[in-house]
Amino acid sequence: MNCHVGNMVCLSQRSQAKFRMILAILILIAVELVHPTVSCKNETCSQLLRHSLRLTRLMSKRTTELLETYKTSQDFADLICDMQMDNVPVSTVSGQTISQRILSVYTHLKEFLPHMKTVMEQQKDLNPPTNPVAEGLNRMITHVRHIAVRVNCILEILQPNIPIPEPAESPTGIPHAQNIFQQKAYGCIVLTRLQELLSQAVQEQKSLKKGKMCRKSTKNGS
Amino acid sequence: MGSSHHLLVFLMFLHYAVGFTYNCVKILPDSSSSIVVEVGKNFTATCHLLEGCAYTSDDIEWRLGNLSIAKQSYHRINETAVSVTINISSDMSDWLKCTAPKESLSYKPRSIYGIFLRAGYPPLKPKNLSCIAVQEDKDISPNLNCSWDPGSRNPLIDTTYTVYANVPGTVLTHKADCKQHLARFCVVNLETFPIHMVLKVWVEVKNALGSERSELQSDSSYFAKPNPPLNVQVLTEDKFPTSLVVTWKHPIDRTILKLSYAIRYRKVTSNVWIEVPESFTRGYIESFRLQSLEPYTQYVVQMRCIGESNSSYWSNWSPSVTERTTEAKPASAPDLWRIIRPTSNSRNVTLIWKAPVKANGKIRFYNLSINQNNEKFESHNITADNLSQMYSMELPAGKMASIEITAYNSAGESPKATLSIPRSDKELPGVKDMSWSVRDEKLQVKWTAVLPLPHPLKLSEYLLEWVKIPQSVHQKELPAGWQRVPKNVTVTTLNAGLEKFKRYNISVYPIYKYQPGHVWHFQPGRPVTRPAYVQQGPPKEGPTVTVTKSKKNSAELTWEETPLDSHQGFIIHYTIFYAIGNTKQWKSETVGPNVHSYVLTDLASETDYVVYVMASTEAGSVKGTDCTFKTMKYGDGEVEVIVVVVCLSFLFLTVFIIMICLRKREVIKKLLWPQVPDPSDSSIAHWSPDFPIKADLPKEDVSVVEVDVFDGKSLCEEDKGVLPLKKDKYLSEEHSSGIGGSSCMSSPRHSVSDSDEGDSGQTTSSTVQYSTVLGSGYKGQTPSHQPPAFARSESTQPLLDCEEHPDHLNESQSRSSYFRRGRELEPGVLAPECDGGSLTFCPVQEEEPSPVAEEPPASALCYMPQKSGYRPQ
Repeated sequence: MNCHVGNMVCLSQRSQAKFRMILAILILIAVELVHPTVSCKNETCSQLLRHSLRLTRLMSKRTTELLETYKTSQDFADLICDMQMDNVPVSTVSGQTISQRILSVYTHLKEFLPHMKTVMEQQKDLNPPTNPVAEGLNRMITHVRHIAVRVNCILEILQPNIPIPEPAESPTGIPHAQNIFQQKAYGCIVLTRLQELLSQAVQEQKSLKKGKMCRKSTKNGS
Repeated sequence: MGSSHHLLVFLMFLHYAVGFTYNCVKILPDSSSSIVVEVGKNFTATCHLLEGCAYTSDDIEWRLGNLSIAKQSYHRINETAVSVTINISSDMSDWLKCTAPKESLSYKPRSIYGIFLRAGYPPLKPKNLSCIAVQEDKDISPNLNCSWDPGSRNPLIDTTYTVYANVPGTVLTHKADCKQHLARFCVVNLETFPIHMVLKVWVEVKNALGSERSELQSDSSYFAKPNPPLNVQVLTEDKFPTSLVVTWKHPIDRTILKLSYAIRYRKVTSNVWIEVPESFTRGYIESFRLQSLEPYTQYVVQMRCIGESNSSYWSNWSPSVTERTTEAKPASAPDLWRIIRPTSNSRNVTLIWKAPVKANGKIRFYNLSINQNNEKFESHNITADNLSQMYSMELPAGKMASIEITAYNSAGESPKATLSIPRSDKELPGVKDMSWSVRDEKLQVKWTAVLPLPHPLKLSEYLLEWVKIPQSVHQKELPAGWQRVPKNVTVTTLNAGLEKFKRYNISVYPIYKYQPGHVWHFQPGRPVTRPAYVQQGPPKEGPTVTVTKSKKNSAELTWEETPLDSHQGFIIHYTIFYAIGNTKQWKSETVGPNVHSYVLTDLASETDYVVYVMASTEAGSVKGTDCTFKTMKYGDGEVEVIVVVVCLSFLFLTVFIIMICLRKREVIKKLLWPQVPDPSDSSIAHWSPDFPIKADLPKEDVSVVEVDVFDGKSLCEEDKGVLPLKKDKYLSEEHSSGIGGSSCMSSPRHSVSDSDEGDSGQTTSSTVQYSTVLGSGYKGQTPSHQPPAFARSESTQPLLDCEEHPDHLNESQSRSSYFRRGRELEPGVLAPECDGGSLTFCPVQEEEPSPVAEEPPASALCYMPQKSGYRPQ
């Protein structure tokens, strides 16, 4: 403000300096937002594990209910939902150690998200506009993301020095030229496998709780 | 809107400034819109003269709006630039202009440049940010309602409030722009409520002078507000009269929000809630037993819930549920009292009682036991009923009674209440003094404590009794109540719902107790009673006045006291208003409340008065009905005095007249009864010494007339028709002889009627002159000693037969007293007063009452033949 006409150059230089500072802050904020580990510091281990377990249990229950709703609305037999479909992620949790198994849960959750979106879109197209399955799936997607955040935090606690690989939310690989039956079968398979995954995730977290994960981490000074 | 408008104005100004004038000045800082400046801070602007400008810095002038800025604020930088520094105030939103004025007679154009300043404040940091997501159905609503305190300072410039919400760890941030000026709340739609996640919410306030932000970050449940517990029920248990069981359902699944609960309860009759300690209901439970309650009492129960470990907002309280605990046996005795009304030779005792305070159930019946002189007298089971909670009995004055009463409900019996009624002559002392006053529309009673009594009597308490008077005959409920107060209290307020404008008798009883055995006995002392009103009003009706005595100048008024129920207060006085007729000039007299008659004095006599009586209480007055009366014309005794005076006057007058008469009787006699010559004493009778009296009676010139008293029977039959005629002649004044000028004949009483006069005219010829012989019977004068008088007559009337035939005359003389008396006289003897030679009649001295006056029928008989005698004529 105190620059004068004779010092116009001075003003422009100060503006550039401000811009650079703001840009740096924005980048920092973006990094902070993207990096999920930031949220993990707000809760203790036990709180984290408790909330994660409750959320996973809730979503497992909700997925079961949603699957029932789905089957009822689509008039499907259970056999169809158990069909083999290669492009749908498997629900099997793999790994030798608890950390690996939790990482497997995390990875699978991330893999399921695009499929859930696809099923939701298909359901919106199939039964617009008030499709309870679509609405349930929409909420489910959000909650699965939240579970992923929680599991990520658990992984940070379990293996703080190992970077967590972030699976990209890549396309499902399911061809668009599916007929209605194929779409319905696909949706049911996704929900069924998701439910299985969440059930296993509950079990894995229970085993974490039993395994005194938080006590150990507390002792380690986490 | 405001800024675009200003921009337009600014551009127009610039267009004007640039397009129509040569402008060689410029202000820095410059802006195409307004320049926002902070209130309270200094703002410096510099006016530059551009190249080629003919002005110098001395020509530059600063103006804010239309006002020039003082030169002291100028700072000359060089030959082409002058700055100005101003302190911004809140009302300085205006144009800041730099001008180089046109010199007079100069070709140089005027130069001007301006910038628009907008004064304002930087935003204040929002305080007390809070966000709530309520429960919807079985989930938490994704709509997050956030509110905050924006502060009271108006920023004066456009300021925006934006609410952000983000789940840390995710890239998605939800945002809501709050449109209101100085927004206080906003709703952010999270699409899906982040259950069991950390939620970060912040509100950001921005304007041209800066931005502020308030933030909340917590577990998402912290933002959730669950619904109250579902299906709250309160259950009773028969065997547990002091407990209630509360059951409910979780309003939300525990996987979403694990809740703990709070229970509160109160009696229906109370407004104070009792909350169950949270530690008792901390678990994830769905039932709870409330204990230590009162039996048979209605309780209201409410519940609410909160996230475990207070991790959410409290829910609202659930709807109230009311339930009554079961019955237990009464825990206190009934409240027993009595009302004693003395009768001629006994006492009428009405026992009244109230249900036990701690009835613990519905009282079914009472057992009343009465002992007289320590012997069981009677016992009754009385059904509990509000209308029959009394019992009346007669108690002789010389007997004492002891009453016991027990209340029963479905669970058992109450403790026993006892009351003693002593003999009439054994009453215990009462309080010394008692008074009352009204406070807050309630009666406050004050009394003097009783002195301590010798052992074993102890003062237990005081009892205040109120009885409404007058008592209605048809009243079913006893219009009485009572209240007990501890023995150390000497002033209390009656908790009774006493009616306004009704009189109550307030009594204070000391209640003594003694313990002859194992049971305490209670006996009231002598009462002290005062009438009282909780609120007085004007009387309902005025007294009806009647006038019992009305006199000449006074009137006695009487009025009856109106019914007590219509008094509505204590009558403090009566006022008598009275006025004459319709004059409306009222006079008044005021008398005390106990006076019911009054004598009005100084009234006008024989005047109509209107009178009425007005009754007054301290709250007002009301007049009674009008009464009219008229005062008397005469006072007491006036009439009697007048009558007595008149009578006495008359008496005196009479006596006076009589005295005069007596003294002047001779004169009166002469006046009233002039002396009529007695024919028998007439000299005529002794006249004519030349011929014998008997044989030579003049037949032609003298006629003899029998006067006055005739015995009809003494007359011969042939004389009957003639005698009246003779009598007529004798009675007729006109036809009396002019001889002697007889004044005795002048009395009108003895004149004959006109017709008779005519007749006599016919019978006696006017041509005949005759002498009339008048008898002594005139006017009752009976000549006793006068002999028959004869007068010479010049009448040409033929003589009567008797005259013509002396024989007949003699015969008649023998029957007639007149002639009899005449016969007794010696012929030729005249009355001593009379001269022998005179022909005039002499008055006869009458000494005897007139036979005519005494025997009027004889006279009448004399006239009868006369009438018949006329007819043949």
